[in-house]
Amino acid sequence: MKRVKVLKSVLVSNMQRARENRREFDRMNSLVINIIASPGAGKTSVIERIVEYFKKKRKILVIEGDIRGQVDSKRLAKLGVDVIQINTVTECHLDAFMTAQALPKIDKKYNLILIENVGNLVCPAEFEIGEDYKLAILSTPEGDDKPLKYPLLFHLAKVVVINKCDLLPYVDFSKKRAKKNVLRENSKARIFEVSAKTGDGFGKFYSFLEKELNAKKKKG
Amino acid sequence: MHEFSVTKSLVDLCNAEAEKNNFSRIYKIHLKVGRFTGFSPDSISFYFEHLKPNTKCQDAEIIFDEVPIRIKCTDCGKENEIEEPILVCPECGKMTIEVISGREFFVESIEGE
Repeated sequence: MKRVKVLKSVLVSNMQRARENRREFDRMNSLVINIIASPGAGKTSVIERIVEYFKKKRKILVIEGDIRGQVDSKRLAKLGVDVIQINTVTECHLDAFMTAQALPKIDKKYNLILIENVGNLVCPAEFEIGEDYKLAILSTPEGDDKPLKYPLLFHLAKVVVINKCDLLPYVDFSKKRAKKNVLRENSKARIFEVSAKTGDGFGKFYSFLEKELNAKKKKG
Repeated sequence: MHEFSVTKSLVDLCNAEAEKNNFSRIYKIHLKVGRFTGFSPDSISFYFEHLKPNTKCQDAEIIFDEVPIRIKCTDCGKENEIEEPILVCPECGKMTIEVISGREFFVESIEGE
């Protein structure tokens, strides 16, 4: 019997595919955001807000990852934004190969590509899909302890959006504690407090995205 | 649940490495799994039993080498091993943390013939 060194990541093929996706997205000069949150945290509602605000001045594509169905893509298509649906069927996350299924369907250049991952705080964090960065959404009814319970996602997310702040009077959620918990996983995280229902707090978030979009433009 | 596709990748990777090294069978897979990953050795073992028949891995067992989480504080410079991934320096309380280990997820080696 012989022992041979391998020293290869189990995720090596996913990582390679993610790099290829990234090259394709970079060629289009698109800012690509991988949006991750639990089911019902308001991923689609936050995307709707972003689309409404930016759609006149920027070309936006939404890639919808769901286990089944087209509920969200139909909802977003009503706003006049281009949407590509990916159904993962048995998988609880998008991986780089599933994301690559969208590439042949992209027929123009987009400034912003928002990828709505499958609703889940665990698995999507581990799989690179070719994004510029991950954005996590934490909604107030979920509790302010979630960053400590799902540390990897909050460690890897460059941006954290605290959604449903309009419900703060009714739920046991401390913004202060939530922010502290996020920073305990990632001291560089950019945190925004919003309500996708009322639109409150989006101003700062839009300015941040605007800067990111401009930075991407300059790079390309 | 995501361990299924991950274990499938593991089996594919090991089969390809066995091929490269002219192994007809693999007996041991030495797998490093960091404690700051979302992968559970129990789930990987569970799916591995279902995925290994009729592959070069069919007689293989996985030897898990769990890697602890080690962090370095960029402010005070101290290194520490932590149980839970709460990235605060146990020495000075600052959050200026670099993760040194714990994110590993790779096949270190295989044994076979």
